[in-house]
Amino acid sequence: MMRSMLRDIARNRFLYAMAVPGILFLVVFSYIPLAGHVLAFKNFQISQGIWGSDWAGLNNFRFFFSGRDWMQVTFNTLYLNVLFIVFEMGFALLIAIFLNEIRLKWFKRTIQSVVFLPYFISWVVVGYMTFILFNNTDGLINHALQRNGVRAVDWYQTPWVWPIILTLVRIWKNAGYLSIILLAAIAGLSTDYYESARLDGASRLQQMRYITLPLLKPQIIILILLGIGRIFYGDFGMIYGIIGDNGILFPTTDVIDTYSYRALRQLGDFSMSSAIVLYQSVMGLIAVVTFNWIVRRIDQDSRLF
Amino acid sequence: MDRPVVSSASNRTRWRAGMSERMLVLFIGLFLVAFSLVCLFPFWLMVINSFAVDKSLAVSGYAVWPSGFTLKSYRFLLQGKQIFTSYGVTASATAIGTAAGLAVTALFAYVLAHPKNRFSGVLSFMTYVPMIFGSGLVGFYLLVVRWLHLKDTLWALVLPYMMNPFYAFIFVSFYRSLPYELNESATVDGANEWVIFFRIIRPISTPVIATIGLFYALQYWNDWWLSLLFIDNSDLYPLQLLLRQLMSQMQLSTLNHGNVLALPPAEGVKLATVCLTIGPIIFVYPLIQKYFVKGLTLGSVKG
Repeated sequence: MMRSMLRDIARNRFLYAMAVPGILFLVVFSYIPLAGHVLAFKNFQISQGIWGSDWAGLNNFRFFFSGRDWMQVTFNTLYLNVLFIVFEMGFALLIAIFLNEIRLKWFKRTIQSVVFLPYFISWVVVGYMTFILFNNTDGLINHALQRNGVRAVDWYQTPWVWPIILTLVRIWKNAGYLSIILLAAIAGLSTDYYESARLDGASRLQQMRYITLPLLKPQIIILILLGIGRIFYGDFGMIYGIIGDNGILFPTTDVIDTYSYRALRQLGDFSMSSAIVLYQSVMGLIAVVTFNWIVRRIDQDSRLF
Repeated sequence: MDRPVVSSASNRTRWRAGMSERMLVLFIGLFLVAFSLVCLFPFWLMVINSFAVDKSLAVSGYAVWPSGFTLKSYRFLLQGKQIFTSYGVTASATAIGTAAGLAVTALFAYVLAHPKNRFSGVLSFMTYVPMIFGSGLVGFYLLVVRWLHLKDTLWALVLPYMMNPFYAFIFVSFYRSLPYELNESATVDGANEWVIFFRIIRPISTPVIATIGLFYALQYWNDWWLSLLFIDNSDLYPLQLLLRQLMSQMQLSTLNHGNVLALPPAEGVKLATVCLTIGPIIFVYPLIQKYFVKGLTLGSVKG
């Protein structure tokens, strides 16, 4: 067995050699860091290294779960992700189905290019754009409010509005991109359905509702599933790019990723940060496996693995 | 009774249906135009206000149409050397990362998809795991800083993203769609796999390579996570981190050593930096857009 394997490797050495750099990068950057999870059970001292530091048992977890923070960041992570998935997807569907109804080629192409544009911008820039709009003193929105005799709102001191703002920002940035994936799927649908529907006198609205939407189900499920698979992972780039270290907004915007980042970079608490991250990885894994299992039962073809 | 006699009831409903159909299309068109304007509006604000005079920014804040225009912010920015340094860092990381990342990923995926490979299952599994089980911030941080000693080096911005499992699977699904005969005929001619890959496979996979290359390039250009973690030295600030630091009110003096007298229009300089940062993307965007669309279609096919 071992011999034949070695002989196979020797015979196809040119082929296997091609995979070596990729394997190397996977091992170094995806597998070796797994060792960091050990720190969750240790009392990490930089001077003593990972293996030299004392074991702490479950103390880091006990500490993390004894406070109220874990509930808040977990809730925020899940809540924001659900908001993002639902509204992004809903809006993207709307745009895709609408775009599909447009017959003017140049118009369709122009709209497509424009709504796709925000996807190419980094979260830092998006954070700045958000600041320009919602800034307390000279933001555009507050200026507009004041001009119309409405009192300015201190957006950056009002936690409850941020889930809404963040959702709007996500729609702005990603809905166009998602709609293009969906539009490509629509373009692949057979025109027969539409022709026979038209013969039967179905209106455009009915065609959208009863043909396009149901036929897109597999794509929608895949996209939602990919989102759900990462439901325990907050969008660090987004949240930190827009909220930064503004503690006033933490109650509604702090997610697991920003929380563990601060534990690591600002408090320098490696063990605590690892405990949080390990909790996140395990919950994330459970989420993926569970949802994949559910989908497999509902619809064999849509499962991820 | 001025209605024509021929107008039967069925005709009227058809006319009405056509009317509502047209209203629907009109509504759809307006909706799409409105959303497009919303998409463009923040870009407009950025660009137009980066040319605004200080007074306009100070008095009326960010305006849809500032009261006066100047190139002062750009002049100030281009006098200093930080913006050039940062451009250099971002451009190098993007160029090296994209080229090397493409090579590593394409070769790896080629082996993964190869019918002769007896370890496809193992390799696939190995590629899946990182996608569903996070390796964690702390281990990653320690790896780069303490074991590889890459803190404050360009490599810290390049190496970690070089092998993206998701892109690898897009490659795999493309390679699997190719007929194996291509490969076999060359093997009979005695060519080894590297020759086959570079002579036959690479030329016909240009669309995927373009797409994934663009994904990589975009990722490197827009990333600020790696620099946030690993870069403290301002000589190695990529554009995104520079912007981030400007936003968090870092002193502007680092931008323009020794030019204390020319007080910078702080907001204007930030806006100008943003414009210079997104500039290249906006310029290449029309060229790359169609590849992206093609690649997304590929990506939506399950690997």
